[in-house]
Amino acid sequence: MRRRILLPLRSFFMQPAVQGLGPFVLLVIVWALVVELEVYPRAFFPGPLDVLRAFGSLVYKGILPTYLQDSVTRLAVGAGVGMLVGVPLGLLIGLHPASYRFFWPLIIFFQAIGDIAWLPILLIWFGFTLTTMTFVIVYTVIFPMIFNAALGVRTVPVEMIRAAQSLGASPWRILVEVLIPGALPNIITGLRNGLGYGWRALIAAEIIVGTSGIGFMMFDARRSGSVVEMILGMIVLGILWYVVDAGVLRPAERATIERWGLVRQVP
Amino acid sequence: MEGLVIRDLSKIYYDIYTGQHVAAVEEVSLEIGNGEFVAILGPSGCGKTTLLNMVAGFIPPTRGEILLNGRRIQGPGPDRGVVFQSFALFPWKTVLDNVVFGLKMRGVPKEERDRIAREYIALVGLEGFENRYPHELSGGMQQRVGVARVLANKPDLMLMDEPFASVDAQTRMTLQEELTRIWGARQPTILFVTHDVEEAVFLANRVVVLTPRPGRVRETVPVDLPRPRIWQHLIEAPGYKGLVARVLGLVRTAGA
Repeated sequence: MRRRILLPLRSFFMQPAVQGLGPFVLLVIVWALVVELEVYPRAFFPGPLDVLRAFGSLVYKGILPTYLQDSVTRLAVGAGVGMLVGVPLGLLIGLHPASYRFFWPLIIFFQAIGDIAWLPILLIWFGFTLTTMTFVIVYTVIFPMIFNAALGVRTVPVEMIRAAQSLGASPWRILVEVLIPGALPNIITGLRNGLGYGWRALIAAEIIVGTSGIGFMMFDARRSGSVVEMILGMIVLGILWYVVDAGVLRPAERATIERWGLVRQVP
Repeated sequence: MEGLVIRDLSKIYYDIYTGQHVAAVEEVSLEIGNGEFVAILGPSGCGKTTLLNMVAGFIPPTRGEILLNGRRIQGPGPDRGVVFQSFALFPWKTVLDNVVFGLKMRGVPKEERDRIAREYIALVGLEGFENRYPHELSGGMQQRVGVARVLANKPDLMLMDEPFASVDAQTRMTLQEELTRIWGARQPTILFVTHDVEEAVFLANRVVVLTPRPGRVRETVPVDLPRPRIWQHLIEAPGYKGLVARVLGLVRTAGA
């Protein structure tokens, strides 16, 4: 009788999705315990249920969905533009020595001027607009894209390129059929890093530019002293990144570089 | 002149660390008729791979010239297929897509190139593995793909750079026998680079022994052992041991 109850329970807990939640369940329990013990005043350190209630209320008012959509759209546009410019530029400087000599000093120079350092002048030029936000995100996303794409094409073994040449492939076909797929592990690393930095830059930009978005919501909560909304914002950021990783990056890796045996599979 | 003609070929490198010029290949002349199977044999570092790379068009010669069926070689091209020691398969392509690659690059229609590729996949004994990726295959099977990929492209000359050096001894013997079988069936012209004396004698019609760096032709030894060549039979065949001993003597005194 006990086994009949335990076995389905066990198979439930063995599911990957459930296992992925395990650490968080523990974290929430510890959090709730600390709150219940009233180590800190509740207004400064609200519990999981308070945050859940705030979540419900902000969703009901339509604020959270709108802000979430704003933030995700900004990130997607910024990352998309960053990728469209960064990857080809990286491939170019990775493959073409003269381009490398021309672009490399410029890239190093501009990399040193961090995204946030651009904000003062951007606010004068473009004001509190989507252009400002997009610029900051593209700026952040583009450097890891360039560096990793450039590194990626240089890691393709020379014999693979020679094999393609002596099978009759033109330079253009070698780029498409050999160099870009060969650079893909690094390009995906660049995408992962770029999105990660871009996400942080976005929150910073939203705090400063301050019209809408998750970053704005968190900073705005400071005025009403609503710690609940700040914590809610932090949780949303974490979950959203987890969703991007599990829903976009991991499937892309599994279908390409892991399938091809270019990197070992994650057990 | 039909076939491959190498005339007074030299390759001199400039070593940026020592500031000296180093000759890798010196004054090599060689002719290979169409349908011949020639092995280039020499100690490691004798410049035999440099020689092959010049024939493939991967590196330019310093002096001399290479003609294939009367045309001067000036870079890599599909008339010379190369089988690499490291296989150099495309990991992101299946076995079929690897073998199809050359035909696709040359614009052969899809149905025809798939048919040709399947024919050569069967020829190298990989039927049923068409949709596997290279990393799912053993080293021996990967090199079978490497051979099929070149043969499907029907090059005038097949260049093989120590192709069986990175597979285990048993697999190597099987691959050597398979290669002689395929050569017997299709008669491709093969230039085969190796440092393995027995491999050279087993496979080729002619063994060209190079001296140590800089590589020059020391001697060309004709091999008139019977075909098809099978290891168990050949080891017992009259003349095999004597031939191996003679070629070994040439390589070792050359290396002394």
